Amino acid sequence: MTNYGGYMGRVVLLDLSTKKVSNYVWTDLDREKYIGGKAMASKILYDNLTGKESPFGEDNLIVIATGPLTGTGAPSSNRFDISSLSPLTGITSSSNCGGNFGYYLKRAGIDALIIKGKCGSPTWIEIDNGSFLFHDAAVVWGLKASESQAAVQKLLNDSHGKAVRCGIATIGPAGENLVRYASVISGERAAGRAGMGAVFGSKNLKAIAAMGDQTPKIFDPERSAAHRKKWVNYIRSHPLTGSQLPKLGTAGLVSTMQVRGLLSTRNYAKGQFEGFEAVSGEALTEEQLVSNNGCLSCPIRCTRMVKVDGKKVKGPELETLGLLGGNIENRDLDLICRWNYELDELGMDTISAAGTLAWAMEANEKGLWDNGLRFGQVDKLSQVFDDIAHRRGIGNELAEGSKRLSEKYGGADFAIQSKGMELAAYEPRRAVGQGLGYAVANRGGCHLNGGYLVVLEGLGMNVNGQTPRGKADLCMVMQDIMEAISLGGQCLFTSYGIVPGFMVDKPNSLLAKTVNAVVPCLGPAVRVINKVPEIACFNLPLIPYPYELNYTVGMKMNIGKFIRTGERSYNVERAVNARFGVSAANDKLPKRLTDVPQDPNNPKTRVPLEQMKRTYYRARGWEKNGLPGEKKLRRLGIKSW
Amino acid sequence: MVTVKLFGTLRIDSGVKCFQAEAGSVRDLYPLVLREIYAHDPGSSVTGKALQSCLVAVNGKQVSPRAKLRDGDEVYLFPAVAGG
Ligand code: SF4
Repeated sequence: MTNYGGYMGRVVLLDLSTKKVSNYVWTDLDREKYIGGKAMASKILYDNLTGKESPFGEDNLIVIATGPLTGTGAPSSNRFDISSLSPLTGITSSSNCGGNFGYYLKRAGIDALIIKGKCGSPTWIEIDNGSFLFHDAAVVWGLKASESQAAVQKLLNDSHGKAVRCGIATIGPAGENLVRYASVISGERAAGRAGMGAVFGSKNLKAIAAMGDQTPKIFDPERSAAHRKKWVNYIRSHPLTGSQLPKLGTAGLVSTMQVRGLLSTRNYAKGQFEGFEAVSGEALTEEQLVSNNGCLSCPIRCTRMVKVDGKKVKGPELETLGLLGGNIENRDLDLICRWNYELDELGMDTISAAGTLAWAMEANEKGLWDNGLRFGQVDKLSQVFDDIAHRRGIGNELAEGSKRLSEKYGGADFAIQSKGMELAAYEPRRAVGQGLGYAVANRGGCHLNGGYLVVLEGLGMNVNGQTPRGKADLCMVMQDIMEAISLGGQCLFTSYGIVPGFMVDKPNSLLAKTVNAVVPCLGPAVRVINKVPEIACFNLPLIPYPYELNYTVGMKMNIGKFIRTGERSYNVERAVNARFGVSAANDKLPKRLTDVPQDPNNPKTRVPLEQMKRTYYRARGWEKNGLPGEKKLRRLGIKSW
Repeated sequence: MVTVKLFGTLRIDSGVKCFQAEAGSVRDLYPLVLREIYAHDPGSSVTGKALQSCLVAVNGKQVSPRAKLRDGDEVYLFPAVAGG
């Protein structure tokens, strides 16, 4: 039960071994401190994992958590989060998904689902208005993501005697075969990163379908509706969320990244790809785009629908274009659209699959591993991906990810990963703040969990990407803000609205140039606000999230509290990972990015990681070992790990 | 003669991808780009101001709008963007 709006007031603990369903105690005080989504999941993992569990063990937990805004109609707010001990990184990790499962989980009357144990045989689960039914998954096991969802939908329609409206989260063959970077798919959207699909597979869990007729109540419907109207108008009028993303999707970044030297090329040996135009967002729009699509309740609609074999399917995002384009020296956009579709269907993260592939190509070239893969030779890669998903031949090895492979064959210096997770397509040697983010990110080499500083360092603003000055503080505050935004269930792309429009529209204006020059000097100020966020006890129209939590949920939120919630989330995630052995020593990048300048004539074009890391830990108030101490945790209301 | 390529929303909105022009500097190019855009779409809403806000790269390297151009150069014009 809850007195707040937005929530359904029920968190369910599901034991697959015993099929026992019980309510997990989650109070309004917990809601105030952690809001929902990945913070809620991290706290649950923190309270239940001791550090002795293993990713494929029965004792590992999966937490599927929504935010209080999910299902309320707030703009771009229907995302949900899956967290667990990751088979790719060995530490806790989370993956965010825009599919409709979260929305329907709330319709079933549930805010979050904690799954433990293991089914005796392949199973799919039906959640109907809060009751649970376990079904034999023999008929869906082995099916690809869309086939599995269609089959489950049909079974539901048949058993209910009518067309059932539901949300389904499923794995594909990759998850069943424990590919360490297998994803969970809902609709056409993936919880792609960190191998959550393999954890499903290890528990013999093929799919979960949720349905129901419950809706969250809105705390103050009138003010909530008025605020949303304003917010949606703002989103539609902002140059990034109203024009750039709808017209070009995330793919629109390829060209900018190329010119700025940020486009991963040839397994990150370079930051520019000669053939970039063929695999750019412009080419995707002009040659492939059939229509736009979007997640539920999203006014941005950034999804690119393309055709593969005459079928309308979701097109590739920037990360996939970069990593399956220049990073493996491929200029064939048709193939990228096809692979993107195939990888989603097989239930596999495109980023880790592509990153591992690029490493394998280089390892082959350098004579470390004779695997037949070569940069630019791309005609047989569909087969390679299928082999990975089914763990056949070299696919069985590639299914382990680049870190494990480099431990076996050598080549760690060019295994482009952090904590075992492959990096997204942003080459960080010309955006060193992004490099810091990749290294310190709790879940491993993730561009978003790392604070996405590249948006300030050339992809929106023009802050000097080569200077480490101020980057540690900015990284921290960006991480905390992005963390806080996602907790309500909202898409991080809404945060582009925080970048003032003139910075994008008029980057050459005196005002924009001044702001860009001043931002790196803001470190000390950022640190003060972060130490005492209570001084930010107000709200600003440019940051609409606290308003939404005030009006829809009824939480008394302001900017300071909002940032504090993000900080708490980041710290609790770090604390649970500390139990699994994470410390400063794990916050690293491959030598290619820290020791080898991208431009041999410019020694500055590398990531000065150690220097920035020290400042980052200080800014966070962490110990030298990169962990939050007891005092820090107490200040955030978290008990010591 | 230089080759001019448009990117991002500038290209999607105007429908102009690429054309050849005779210009001594990036600044000299702006009116030529506008002319090309209007020839393609007389009702285009692209303005000279919008062009001046674009980032410019010559032969793959970012340059200032004051940069001189040489025969055979490839010039990229693109609006600053974000969204990954
Ligand atoms: S901006 Fe794109 S990814 Fe985000 S909610 Fe909207 S459609 Fe989904």
